Amino acid sequence: MGKWTRRAFIGTGGLAGVGLVVGIGGNMYLNKVAKQYSGKGMGDGNSMNAWIRISPDNKITIAVPRSEMGQGVYTSVPMLVAEELEVDMKSINIIQPQPEPAYANTLLVNPNPRDIYSSLTFMEKIAHFLPLVATGGSTTITDGFDHLRAAGASARVMLIIEAAKRWNVQEEDCYAENSHIINRKTKEEFTYGELAESAGKIELAEIPKLKDKKDWKILGKNVQRLDIPEKVNGKAEFGLDVRIEGMLYGAIRHATYHDGIVLSVRNQVEIEKMPGVKNVLVLPKGVGVVVVANNTWRAKNAMLALDLEESGDNTLSSKKINAHAEDVIANNIIATPLDKGNATDVLDKTGNIIEGKYDVPYLAHACMEPINCTVLVKDGKAEIWAGHQGSSIMLDGVNAATGIDRDNIIVNMKYLGGGFGRRGEIDMILHAGFVAKEMEGTPIQIVYTREEAMRHEMYRPFVKSHFRAAINVDGEIEAWENKIALQSVGYSSIMRIKPSLASSPSEDSSTTEGAANLPYTMAAAKVAFGQMDLPIQVGNWRSVGSSQNAFFTESFMDELANAAGQDAYIFRKSKLQHKPRFLKVLEKAAEISNWRTPLPEGKFRGMAIHESFRSIVCQVVEITKVGEKKFSVDKYYNVIDCGQVVNPDTVEAQMQSGIMYGLSAALYGQITFKNGEVEQYNFPQYEVVRMNVAPNVQNHIMDNDEFPGGVGEPSTPPAAPALANAIFSATGERIRSLPLMKHGYSFV
Amino acid sequence: MELKINDKIQNVDIEENMPLLWVLRDELNMTGTKYGCGVSSCGSCTVLLDGVATRTCTLPVIAAKGKEIITIEGISVEGEMSEIQQAWIEHQVPQCGYCQSGMIVAAEALLNEIPNPTDEDINTRITNICRCGTYNRIRAAIHTAAKMRTEKQKLLG
Repeated sequence: MGKWTRRAFIGTGGLAGVGLVVGIGGNMYLNKVAKQYSGKGMGDGNSMNAWIRISPDNKITIAVPRSEMGQGVYTSVPMLVAEELEVDMKSINIIQPQPEPAYANTLLVNPNPRDIYSSLTFMEKIAHFLPLVATGGSTTITDGFDHLRAAGASARVMLIIEAAKRWNVQEEDCYAENSHIINRKTKEEFTYGELAESAGKIELAEIPKLKDKKDWKILGKNVQRLDIPEKVNGKAEFGLDVRIEGMLYGAIRHATYHDGIVLSVRNQVEIEKMPGVKNVLVLPKGVGVVVVANNTWRAKNAMLALDLEESGDNTLSSKKINAHAEDVIANNIIATPLDKGNATDVLDKTGNIIEGKYDVPYLAHACMEPINCTVLVKDGKAEIWAGHQGSSIMLDGVNAATGIDRDNIIVNMKYLGGGFGRRGEIDMILHAGFVAKEMEGTPIQIVYTREEAMRHEMYRPFVKSHFRAAINVDGEIEAWENKIALQSVGYSSIMRIKPSLASSPSEDSSTTEGAANLPYTMAAAKVAFGQMDLPIQVGNWRSVGSSQNAFFTESFMDELANAAGQDAYIFRKSKLQHKPRFLKVLEKAAEISNWRTPLPEGKFRGMAIHESFRSIVCQVVEITKVGEKKFSVDKYYNVIDCGQVVNPDTVEAQMQSGIMYGLSAALYGQITFKNGEVEQYNFPQYEVVRMNVAPNVQNHIMDNDEFPGGVGEPSTPPAAPALANAIFSATGERIRSLPLMKHGYSFV
Repeated sequence: MELKINDKIQNVDIEENMPLLWVLRDELNMTGTKYGCGVSSCGSCTVLLDGVATRTCTLPVIAAKGKEIITIEGISVEGEMSEIQQAWIEHQVPQCGYCQSGMIVAAEALLNEIPNPTDEDINTRITNICRCGTYNRIRAAIHTAAKMRTEKQKLLG
């Protein structure tokens, strides 16, 4: 998920003066900010704070206000709390709380993780005020690392204070272990449950000292994920699995053209007579039609039979989009986020420059679980069930669609069958809310068929990137220029989710993330971009700007290495001498992949390194030529520096996952337009990596004491450039446009 | 129409051409079997039909009449997880988990037919899609489950 920038909020008026409770110190954080929650849905017992509730029979419930989409937060968030609370991971229950201020994800709006020992920044106050409770941008651990441990530690200390009081001893004479407070001298014990009611009322003057890493019992160890047992027996409930008495299913048909609307349903009467059909509703502003029936299949059949009168541009094509991008790069640059030295002057005066013109296509997220949302409106109240990346966005959407007051809306977060940015959008909520309001008293489950989900997405944008660079005889980069054309993801998505907060596309830092913040030593560098004006919706796609910018930059770095006559590793290394963390990651990747040892005949390799979401990843991929333009992708060596690690097994899983996601895009992924319509509509047209193509991943996690970075996205960006560099090494063909499939390559 | 699902007879009154997937999910509320693509491409909807891994999103329910249908809910017998389910946990395979019902059912069918599959067997037989890309761990878990099954056979035999 892209950042909601500070600039986006200034000029909106109204918000700047809101009366927020502001932490001015640790005690304020614990006693005020962390107490902005209702405890609704947290079960029996006594709350210690927004995250911890303890029942008299010593059951520990931990609230996890982040969405589980496979990245393991239903385990890693409790781990952070449990480490300091001194409870066994096996003894806890987890619940998903309502979206309330205490649970705000401030890292989605603030450049740095919150400092719980000082006051909130302006943007952090906004995040609490809204509140913005969402999961994306690989933020959960970085955002939660301090405040979740503090929640556990402060509850532990409150329990100790209460126990000491009851025994009439000093607090130092008590310690916490496995959900008990123990008297050091007498060995007497209280369960947490016995103490919780009184302990929960204690106000602490300061945040207790957090444990040293060397004393961790849970963090940094491989902990089995709490959600996995019910994901192997079919019991895990995803949004699409919600079943409520009397529920009906609504199949959506979007307006065919991306700038178009539905004017009327020509065969409404016939559709209403089809088996099981209960209602046919045109959505507000004509964005689509929903056919409601008593079974998904019947709803789908009726939806497919709709005869619509529509408006819209039926001439939009990938060819036009491409020409538009060329024009934007040449004539309509709107921002220059990096301008150091006079790169353009240097390049204009230098005779010997290297040029590379790159592009990548629109991409669908193609989550395994097709998009859906269930809403019930009844007696002036509403309830929503969905797997979504933002519980607060679910609340916003139902409120906007139904007009029902937020206090009268209950949010039920389900598992997400893939998120990847797509499930941070609001469309499915607005549609379900609208239909549920029209059919008050009946729970409505809106379902997008795979075809509707794929043809009407918020795509990773089509992006062009034009490079010019000059290197000297030693291979040093004297000037680097990169001009980019795309549609701003930040602008497009905020216009859908919170239009009142939108600023200009030129303020969107995600457009050049991974392009304007390069680690390499360069004498002069300029990175600029222009905004494409198209009716196509673009959105956050796993790793956002880095998903394209790593491909452009790391491929072009290889071009420069080649031009300098240097090894790709040595070339990069010489430009990372002032970046010790990058250098260590690069060297480790070279070491574990035996980079300096030549590969056997017919095998080739490529390398890429990229920082995203506060983590650095270097990959080396090995491929084998098995025929003309036919390769097997054998193995990715992956090295990550994500700072301190919460659950190493999850980091490894995310590295594997991110690579497969990036590789699918590199090999096959493209959404193209013809006659105003998307040409791909299901997996046969939008192929992804399957078992037979999936490479082996060997992962290494750097060991250090840095603040934690994200792991859900950072292995996606380097996957494509590492592979394209390997293909160049094998064939001499420089791939400057993805996917590889369109250049005649195939993979086994 | 009478269907035999997980050793239980179920009566449903529906169109004969309704795909089995939607009979399971919307008529019987057995939601462990997933809708992914609707065109038999991704395998999320896989069940065992007389022991054969079968994609149900395009299979008219009439074709399942008189056959033994085993869904993900029927893979565990009397609450005891199958070797494949145990191996899935041991290797921490699922991420989002949405495709895993289909993956596990496909893996059961594979091991029933080929008790000790090679990597090539797995490549050929497990053609389901996992967008989280859990393929490395699925492969490892299948090999582990094959070993567990073989050892169990030895103990029994």
